[in-house]
Formats: sequence, structure tokens, C-alpha cells
Amino acid sequence: MNNSQASGHIPDLDLITYYSENSYSFLSKASPWIKLIGLIAIILILTIVKSVEVLVALYALLLLLYWQIGLPVRKLFDWCLLPVLFVLSLVILLMWNETGVPLFSLKFFWFSLTLTDNGLLLVVRLLLKALISMTSSLLFLMTTKYAYLSVMIYRIFPFPIDQIFLMSYRFLFITLDMVDSMIRAFKSRGGGLIKSVVRQSQTFAEIFALVFIRSYDQAERVNKAMESRGYDGTYTTSTEVPQMKPIDYIVLLVFLVVIIYLLLFHNSSISR
Amino acid sequence: MAHIHLEDGAFSFQWISIWWTLAIILICLCMYWMKNVKKSNDNKVLTIAGMCTAASFAIFQINIPLFGGVHMNLTPLIGILGGPAVGGIIVFIVNILSAAIGHGGWGMIGANTLVNITEVSVAYFTYRGLIKAKLSSFSRAGIATLAGLLLGNVTMIVIILVSGIQGVTQSRMDILYGLSLLAGVNMGVAVIEAVLTGYVVSYIRKIRPDMLSEAESLV
Repeated sequence: MNNSQASGHIPDLDLITYYSENSYSFLSKASPWIKLIGLIAIILILTIVKSVEVLVALYALLLLLYWQIGLPVRKLFDWCLLPVLFVLSLVILLMWNETGVPLFSLKFFWFSLTLTDNGLLLVVRLLLKALISMTSSLLFLMTTKYAYLSVMIYRIFPFPIDQIFLMSYRFLFITLDMVDSMIRAFKSRGGGLIKSVVRQSQTFAEIFALVFIRSYDQAERVNKAMESRGYDGTYTTSTEVPQMKPIDYIVLLVFLVVIIYLLLFHNSSISR
Repeated sequence: MAHIHLEDGAFSFQWISIWWTLAIILICLCMYWMKNVKKSNDNKVLTIAGMCTAASFAIFQINIPLFGGVHMNLTPLIGILGGPAVGGIIVFIVNILSAAIGHGGWGMIGANTLVNITEVSVAYFTYRGLIKAKLSSFSRAGIATLAGLLLGNVTMIVIILVSGIQGVTQSRMDILYGLSLLAGVNMGVAVIEAVLTGYVVSYIRKIRPDMLSEAESLV
């Protein structure tokens, strides 16, 4: 989708796929499996680590990598706004009255809210974790070809999840284009000028309903076309995914050592 | 759609493992139900489920210009259209796709799947249960959506309260107080989603009533 109606703060799947298909960096040439293991390792590190210094260093490293391999850093910052707002919307309720050195207090009629250094650190820590998670996910997606992702889905998930997943991944781009053209048509007829909440709700509901109805019709047509070509319920993938090389096993070993070290010496997992 | 808008690292490793395990068990039950009870493993159901997943994810990308901008996945609608088994698998995949673009962490997929399966199932059974109440399809879908989202919110609060957030030392009561405010805002959005789902279901009923056969067929 070229984001004509979608929020500019939601990652553009067309752009992500464009980079994944046209990037020739060392990360694009690496085995998708080691990149997936890397992503899982980062998620584990985020779950284990509490130190803000380690998180800042990891984020800086990922940003440097993102910029170095030619991915759009400015877009990344745009796309990060939504996860940051999501985290803030929850953490802003939880950051008050933590133990630690008070920074300032707000007094109301019957209660007071105090922000301490630990409360502020909580916000910083969760924001950094959100940014690291988002950046590493996009690094993985923007350097892994569509065909490789399809093979990975096919190998990881059991039937029928793999089939539904592959179908949805295949049709996602068509559906996004369909939604895009419907909203363009709606706006070109003055739809964007409607101000009444009721009318606005009805109009968007009709668009949503049409998306489902057209998707349903399209699914029936596609299914008939696929069955006529021999589809028996198994959507197979035949692309060969680059296998892990000796260097990838060394990287894997490094990930393992780092995680075991963090588990032993920096395990912040609260037992509750 | 209620969603735990926390990223990776908010829950401890133990709780992430527990929620993932529970979600996998429920997904296995959905797969078993599809295969052995509903016998709905034919190609058409799979293709339609794939399309519904794509549609749900595409709809999430639309910014509805109401009250400053709202995004929704219409999870209860997926439940009404597909039923709890197919709907459960659809929301699992939508959660994976959402995590890939930073909408909820990878570790949160398990917890978010549990929240969304609650919404899908409650919406489906409420919609079905109201068939005999002689209500319009708009009212049935609206009530089913509100019920689904209300229980989805309750599940979300329970999951966060039980898991705790790493680094938060507030008492459970204090966290509950904060989360109640969030749930209140979520329920405001749920009212908009209920109205939208009501309109969508009425519209589908006029144009393609066969799409509602899963929820409207009497046992």
C-alpha cells in the first residue's frame, strides 16, 4: 500500500518488500535462518536484561547496522511513533509512586503522584525495549526475500496454519491495494468531507464490509482457479533457502554465550 | 480489538513462556476442532480464512477519522464470520503479522492471542445465542462485539495483573487502578467498534447472507 489513506506511522509493507527484494547488503545474503535466530536472541535479551546501558548500546548497534546497510532511517523513526505511543499510554499509568529518589510530585485532593528516578527509568527501559524490538523486526523483514519468508512459514508452522498464513501473506498485498483504491474512490467523491459521526461510521462500515465481501469473492475465485490447476490443500514452496554457513554457526555460538551470560549474571526476570 | 500494547521485555521469561504455551494449546484445539469436529479442512475454508486474515490486517491499516483517529482489526467480526476455531487461527496469524510491524512484541503474541481468542469466541457465541431473541442483525452484532471486547479487556487486565511488568514495584491494586483507566478508554473504542461491526454485519446480511452461515446456522 502506498499509504495514501493509511497512517504514515504504520510500516508500509510494499516498501518493506521493496527493500527485501532489492537489498544486496551482507545481511541480505546471510541465511534467513541465522537472521531468525538472531531476532529470537534479541527478544530473549530484551526479556532478560534490565540495564539501560546495555539496552542503549544494543539500540545504537542496531541503528548503525540499519543505516549502514542502506535502509531508510527516517522512515524507521516515523514507524516507531505508534509503538512508542502504545507503550507510553500504558506506562504513563504505571510510572508513578515507584520506590527511589523523588523527582517531583503532583498533589490532588485525596492523593498524590510522585515520579521517582526508578519510575523514570522504567519508562526509558520499556521505550528502549520497544524501539529495539521494532528495529530488529524490520531489519529481519527488510533483508529477507518474500520467497524465503514463505519457505520459513511453510517449514515452521503445522498444517493448516501454514496454509492459511501463506494464503494471507500472498493476498495481503492485493487486499491492501484493494483497500487503498476503495478509500481513494471514497475520497475522490468527497467522502473525506463528511463530518457527522453517524454518517462517517456508516460509510467506513460499508467500506469494511465491502473489503470482507470482495475478499470472500476473491477467495472463492482463487480457490476454483487453484483447484483447476491441481491444488489439493497443500500450498507448497519450492524455493531453496540459503543454508547456514560455518560463520553462521560461530554467530549462533556467540548468541548462545551472550544469552547464557546474561541469564547467569544479569537476569532481571521478576519472579512474580 | 483489545491488545496488550507492551513490547518485548515487559513480561518476565516465565510468564511469556506460560502465555505462549496456553495459546499454543488453544490453537491446537482450534486445529483439532477444524479437522475433526467441523470437518472444515477443505480447500475453500483455508482460502477464505487466508483472505479474512489479509482483510483483517488490511483494515487495521485504515485510520478512521473519528475522535482523532482510530484503528481496529474487527476481531469480533472475524469470530462472527469464521467461528471460534477458524477465528482463533486467524487472530493468531494477525498477531504474528502485527508483531512483525511493531504492534505488540513477539513475546506478547501468546498473551495477545489469548485475549483475541476470548473476543472471537465470546462474540461468536453471543451472536449465536441471540438468534432466538428476535433482534436485528445490527443489534445482535453490536451486543456480541461489546460482550467480546469487554471480556477481552478483562482477560487483558488479568494477564497483566498476574504477570506483572518487569521493573514495576506498585501493588496489584495500584496497577489495577491504572489498568481500569485504560480499560475504560478501550471500552470507549469498543462502542465505536460495536457500532461499526453492527453496520458491517447488517450490510453483509443484505448482500451476501451466506457469509454468515457459520454463526446463523442452528444446531
